[in-house]
Amino acid sequence: MPDSKKSSLLDELVEALRCLPSVGPRSAQRMAFHLLQHDRHGALKLSTVLSDALNNIHHCQQCNNFTEALICDLCSSTSRDDSVLCVVESPADLLMMEHTLAYKGMYFVLMGKISPLDGIGPQEIGLPRLIKRVENSAIKEIIIATNFTVEGEATSHAIHEILKPFNIKISRIARGVPVGGELEYVDSGTLAQAIIERREAQF
Amino acid sequence: MKSSILKINEEVAFVLHSIPWRETSQIVEVFTKNYGRIPLIAKGSKRPRSPIRGLLQPFQPLRISWSGNNELRTLRNAEWIGGIPQLSGSYIYSGFYLNELLIRLLPRDDPHQLLFEKYYTTIQSLSYKDKIEPVLRSLELTILKELGYSPLLTHDGESDTPIIPDKKYIFDFEKGLIQSRTDSENRVQFSGKTLLDLSNNDFTDTTTLTESKLLMRILLNQCLGDKDLQTRRVLQELPLL
Ligand SMILES: [Zn+2]
Repeated sequence: MPDSKKSSLLDELVEALRCLPSVGPRSAQRMAFHLLQHDRHGALKLSTVLSDALNNIHHCQQCNNFTEALICDLCSSTSRDDSVLCVVESPADLLMMEHTLAYKGMYFVLMGKISPLDGIGPQEIGLPRLIKRVENSAIKEIIIATNFTVEGEATSHAIHEILKPFNIKISRIARGVPVGGELEYVDSGTLAQAIIERREAQF
Repeated sequence: MKSSILKINEEVAFVLHSIPWRETSQIVEVFTKNYGRIPLIAKGSKRPRSPIRGLLQPFQPLRISWSGNNELRTLRNAEWIGGIPQLSGSYIYSGFYLNELLIRLLPRDDPHQLLFEKYYTTIQSLSYKDKIEPVLRSLELTILKELGYSPLLTHDGESDTPIIPDKKYIFDFEKGLIQSRTDSENRVQFSGKTLLDLSNNDFTDTTTLTESKLLMRILLNQCLGDKDLQTRRVLQELPLL
């Protein structure tokens, strides 16, 4: 076994890169060679930023989103309405909500969704932390903005059940035909649900 | 020997569960009418613009086409059938429970048309918010019967005499349901009426409903072995059922 011992650090790097989504053994090898051969500066920067991020980024005590501070900027902002709390599955969902400019309240990020067949229940997605967030707060309304997948709906139901005792208004974001959507081109599942969840016309 | 690739077209199916695979695909466990439970790889189905991205959800009947002879076959197409409103509230958790039961108990590539029909109407009942307990017990019994795990419900497993409604019975792992004796007082007892109601799929009596829940639990646990259902554990964390 002539070379196997010498290349072990390289092997380790390739193996480590495979933890990234959609990176297989071949792309991991390509990345490793690229970093070592063509971009050692970039590699060094990546390694320091990565370790800094891991050491300093944690969950906001209030909204559970990622932050370097104890309480994130959004939660400490004085220009937001702290009587409304919107519950989302992921940080990406929070960003989408912010892009709408239609919401000025607070957030709670679950960092997941309930999926019993994968062994993920209310404990695993931090619903106890959500209860703590709602307890002794000024919140008057909860908006549940989990996905309209089966798991998202199951999560929404669980949130509804555990927050019932607090006697605050609980609402669910609406779903249906998209803005600018023409019925002819809407998928049948969405259209069927839009018929079931129709509402009184208001003009 | 070279065999041609098997192609199955427009088979009625339900998604039982899916797990992500690579960045844009998923492996979908489906329950089909004529081919039983099979795993399919749905390539690119997690891409933002995939036409089947929102379609591969549990509790919705689909018409699917796939190809391949290997264990993992490739999904070629999926179409929405409709007719079943999406499950809501605690009914979703009941649905998860049934799907886990099927995944754990139904062997792959083992067709069970009768069970499939029953599953179809069960999901329908759950979507119309029918009373949950009778619906669940009835499907559990069908699973046990179809897979050959149900004891005889009309006759005593020891004496082979017909079950008598006002007599008490116990479940014996070897003999099945046998008449209760003085020495079986600390065992779970089932009235003859419950067993006969079960054999007629009649859950109108509340005692029948309570006792059959116990009996189904015993019979299912026997098939499931030591590994408990994930859905049962999650349900214990929520006051749902
Ligand atoms: Zn925060």
